[in-house]
Amino acid sequence: MIKKKITIKNSAGLHARPSAQLVKLASKFESDFYIHSYGYRVNGKSILGVMTLAAEHGAELELELDGSDEEDALEAIVDAIDNKFGMADE
Amino acid sequence: MNTSTKQQFTIEGKRAAPGIAIGEAVVISSESKTVTPASIKQKEVADHKERFNEAKLSLVAQLEEMSIGLSDAATAGIIDTQSEIIKDPELEKSVFDIIENKLLSVDFAVYQTYCTFIEKLKESGSELFRQRIIDLEDIRDRFIAEVCDQKSVRSIKKGSVIIAREISPTDLVAFYEDGASGLVMEKGGTTAHAAIIAKSLGMPCIVNAKRASKEAVKGEQVILNADEGALILRPSKETLNGFKKRLKAQKVAAKKKCAEGFETKDGVPYKLLANIEFEAELNNVGENGAQGIGLLRTEGLLFGKRVRKSTEEQEAFYEQIVSGTEGPVTIRLFDIGGDKNARRPQKEANPFLGWRGIRLLLDEKKLLRSQLQAILTVAGKYPGKVKILVPMVSVIDEVRQIRNEIEKVQGALLSSGVDIDEEIPLGLMVEVPSVAISAYQFAREVDFMSIGSNDLTQYTLAVDRGNERIHTLFQHYHPSVLKLAEMTVKGARKADIEVSVCGELAGDEIGAACLFGLGIRELSMVPSSVSTINELLSSHSSEDFSRLANKAIELSSSEELEQFYEEWK
Repeated sequence: MIKKKITIKNSAGLHARPSAQLVKLASKFESDFYIHSYGYRVNGKSILGVMTLAAEHGAELELELDGSDEEDALEAIVDAIDNKFGMADE
Repeated sequence: MNTSTKQQFTIEGKRAAPGIAIGEAVVISSESKTVTPASIKQKEVADHKERFNEAKLSLVAQLEEMSIGLSDAATAGIIDTQSEIIKDPELEKSVFDIIENKLLSVDFAVYQTYCTFIEKLKESGSELFRQRIIDLEDIRDRFIAEVCDQKSVRSIKKGSVIIAREISPTDLVAFYEDGASGLVMEKGGTTAHAAIIAKSLGMPCIVNAKRASKEAVKGEQVILNADEGALILRPSKETLNGFKKRLKAQKVAAKKKCAEGFETKDGVPYKLLANIEFEAELNNVGENGAQGIGLLRTEGLLFGKRVRKSTEEQEAFYEQIVSGTEGPVTIRLFDIGGDKNARRPQKEANPFLGWRGIRLLLDEKKLLRSQLQAILTVAGKYPGKVKILVPMVSVIDEVRQIRNEIEKVQGALLSSGVDIDEEIPLGLMVEVPSVAISAYQFAREVDFMSIGSNDLTQYTLAVDRGNERIHTLFQHYHPSVLKLAEMTVKGARKADIEVSVCGELAGDEIGAACLFGLGIRELSMVPSSVSTINELLSSHSSEDFSRLANKAIELSSSEELEQFYEEWK
């Protein structure tokens, strides 16, 4: 199991569309994916879970990955978050 | 509920399609706001889980259908999000947990699961996320409708009467094909899409029947007396026998009535054609004496359970209709938008004034070209028989662009060795007042014009025809609408092209008489109206109709026209 702390960089936060992208990406990997935020822990492959985090711009999250491809999964997810999911800020 | 009293009970509604139907009530409750927990037996668990899975697949498939031609990133993002929500593993876990461990029905399991998540979002306190709650509620309701829908579609007996708050056109056709014989809707006016289709299928139908789906009990025998706008629940034996006799007598009379000639008393010829949407309606066309198809609606190919959107599938559909019809067939290009677009993810504040008809098609070139290719290929096999009709034109440039597209597709077909009909007539729908007002300028650009009276009325009187609160304002022979028809005829004559009418107005006695009087010689209507209209037009002289029409456009309301018509008749 690996963990990493990250910060949300989208100006609008982790709203529906980036949540969908994050979940879609995470679902491609075998590893279980959880997100910790201010005492909550949600399934990172569940869009409803991710949305209930209501992570706004600047929110600090801890990513937890557990499985055979955890390294690759973490790298891909961190990349996506750092690149603001390839979207221009609206 | 009135189940305890076994007495006969009548619910009144508004007649949308005539006739009588006697059969078992099939009640479709689409009210999902108050889903109550219903317990299930252990052996039903697998079935309820299966229904969840089927609904999930069906909803995801519907989203994929919706995304046809939608290439912009924002829309794709919305569809992605909805799709991920429907497939959410936590949602499934929670739903299955409620079904398996609490032994509660799948609709309640979905309801409770979504409500729990919605509560969590509300707690988050973020305004941005609160907005998402509407999306979740929307998906929740669609999910529940889907789960319940499958249950009701599966078990219907021949002759059943469908009772619903409202129903989609495709569901209605599915019920029709399974043997349903009548339709009762709580909502909607007589021009709601499903009501029009019921009329076309020859299915008795009433709308605006308040509380019908709450009072009716599934499986009980009911009488739908659409002629008098009544649904009779728990009928007495005497009532039932009386209606059975009436039903029999009506069927005999209908067979006897046959179209004779298509000319007025003084020998002025006219054409009566049929409006249809499905192959199932082809039988009704010949049976009622229609001389061809004046309006083939095609948007049913794009949505719901009977999707056939590939060029090949469309071609097969058009060919079936064209080869199965004796006379000409006017194919209207996809008229998506307005009320036929309820599932499109981008909500518009004013969908009827928004992205619909030709406006949408010119943005969605892939969709447009695949339809044109299918129509033009079939037209080449049956030269002189097929016409193309463009919906929702409001400015001239739209027609020019369509003609350009047709020429491009024809060129491509020719160079790949496919025969085409070089002379294929191109027409436009007169639905927007601008077209009627500048009729001559539009008429110069096309080969024919067809007045879509429903939309023309809606845009002239500014009445949403699906809105039950104001449906009385939707008066389709309001003198202002007839005046626009007159302007259209004048413009068309100057440009030497024909005008037809393909809305409800054409199948209405007063409407047809006035339109004929204005000089329109081609009326297209639901097949079941053809014999009535033929009787009317053949029993008066063209002068009589002119006199009626000249007076009609001078009147100030529909009521006045109704009164005058009674005197004229």
